[in-house]
Amino acid sequence: MRTQFRNTVVDLAAQDDRLVVVLGDISVYMFKEFWERYPNRFFNMGICENTLVSVTAGLSSQGYHSFVHTICPFITDRSIEQIKVDMCYNKFAGNIVTCGATFDYAWDGATHHAYTDLAALRLLPNMEVIHLGSKREVDALIRSQYNNSRPTYFRLSDHPHTIETNLEFGKGTLLKNDRSAVTVMTAGPILHNVMEACRDLPVNLVYFHTLKPIDKALIEQFRDTEILVVHDAYGLYEAISEVPALRMRYHGLRDEFCGWYGTVHDIRKRIGLDPASIRAAAQAVLDGDPRCSSSAVCPW
Amino acid sequence: MDALCRTIRSEILNISHKSGHGHIPTSFSIVEMLCAVYQTMRNDPKRPDLPERDVFVLSKGHASLGFYCVLAGHGYFDFEEIYAFGQFDSKFGCHPDRTKVPGVEVSTGSLGHGIGVAVGIALAAKIGGTSRRVFTLIGDGESNEGSVWEAIMVAVNLELDNLVILYDNNQSQQRCLPIPNPGERFAAFGCEVVEVDGHDLDALKQALAAPAGRVRVMVCNTVKGYGCKTLSDNVYEWHRRAPKPDELKMLQAELYAHAV
Repeated sequence: MRTQFRNTVVDLAAQDDRLVVVLGDISVYMFKEFWERYPNRFFNMGICENTLVSVTAGLSSQGYHSFVHTICPFITDRSIEQIKVDMCYNKFAGNIVTCGATFDYAWDGATHHAYTDLAALRLLPNMEVIHLGSKREVDALIRSQYNNSRPTYFRLSDHPHTIETNLEFGKGTLLKNDRSAVTVMTAGPILHNVMEACRDLPVNLVYFHTLKPIDKALIEQFRDTEILVVHDAYGLYEAISEVPALRMRYHGLRDEFCGWYGTVHDIRKRIGLDPASIRAAAQAVLDGDPRCSSSAVCPW
Repeated sequence: MDALCRTIRSEILNISHKSGHGHIPTSFSIVEMLCAVYQTMRNDPKRPDLPERDVFVLSKGHASLGFYCVLAGHGYFDFEEIYAFGQFDSKFGCHPDRTKVPGVEVSTGSLGHGIGVAVGIALAAKIGGTSRRVFTLIGDGESNEGSVWEAIMVAVNLELDNLVILYDNNQSQQRCLPIPNPGERFAAFGCEVVEVDGHDLDALKQALAAPAGRVRVMVCNTVKGYGCKTLSDNVYEWHRRAPKPDELKMLQAELYAHAV
């Protein structure tokens, strides 16, 4: 996805001389073509996330279409006040593009894990939040949103899915409609596992790449079903909750730091986000498992 | 004291009294600095969005009352408009909002933010190949924030010689985290440093007009509450306090005691 991000931005820069890239000393060599072609619009600014965001806001205030890119927790957790004040409150635009989603850097431990970004940024007025799941989504959504008047958050991952989805900003995708009493809703790259888990289960499957604004009309279609939100971060459950009075529960992260290393696949298996565990969670809802009836988080 | 600077201070007192709001001592310490900026940089009060204008960012946003009165004193709007300071539907909040007040380029309030945005604006001016300059005023208390020094490192590394940082050296942090020898510190970060009497309007204007070879920091030695002895002798008591009727009369008398 990072390579696609680079390709899309290099392509856009050829047509848009107001496109500027600000890096926090990450993906620098990958952007070699960009800085060779456009040295006056490329800034590897340093490991200083607060200033990266403030500078991006300043560039945007003067009409530049700026991208700031670095590792997810360091810019979204550390610099949330700069995002809130310098970008959102000031109504300056700008694009924040992160790598290192959720457990992409599993082996680096909890300092490098990132799962609060989507939930936190969707709370900020004026902010658009996009949880990109596939390379096609990277290309389409960056092209459609990068030069609008609002700050936009794009979350990349090292483990994209390859499933065809609706590429329109703000629109979800109905991937499977079994007219079931149970609807699984998910977002981002974990769709790969969710799809595998639900392929031959009698459930409906709905997918989102845009968490803010969430596609409320699509959610409303499944109001009368039991909704199981499967997500490897916080933010989707809360976004779906914008539609009032749904019957829904969450299958994903627990309220504890992840103390394991290994790979994203190891951790997903350990916390129940591998296909078999997701399937078990969905099956339990289908079976009316009483352990799911009163809790927002399914106990597996 | 310059007559306009005295008028601005007088209006700060009146507005604070009427509204019940305002950081008077810190607003008093920046009056000459801001007047010097607005009398030096390219700006047109009748066209606040002039494309080729220079840009000023008040990073220490809590001095907004001083900022508003300087803007009024230079023709951006009338002083009378500011009398609604802090009221529910006023344009003039206790921290400046760029979407409401003509001449305010960046909404500030949380300390350590405005300077970073100013660096971005200065960089934009460079990318565009313009001669536009960017001025930002930071507080010495604000400079307890690490983001201030981060932004300065970036500005120096980007060789932003169109950026001028006015450092309000009003000794506001003596009771917790003072910054001794600020000029040496800015120089160590690679800035071009000049030290100025922050209440000497002519000296400030001269320093602002001088061409810079690097990021320029003007260490402006100021006095919180400058112009009223009661304020400057009791800065903690008056940090965020509006004068009562008798106090207003006393402070106005002190302000005009030595007026020619």
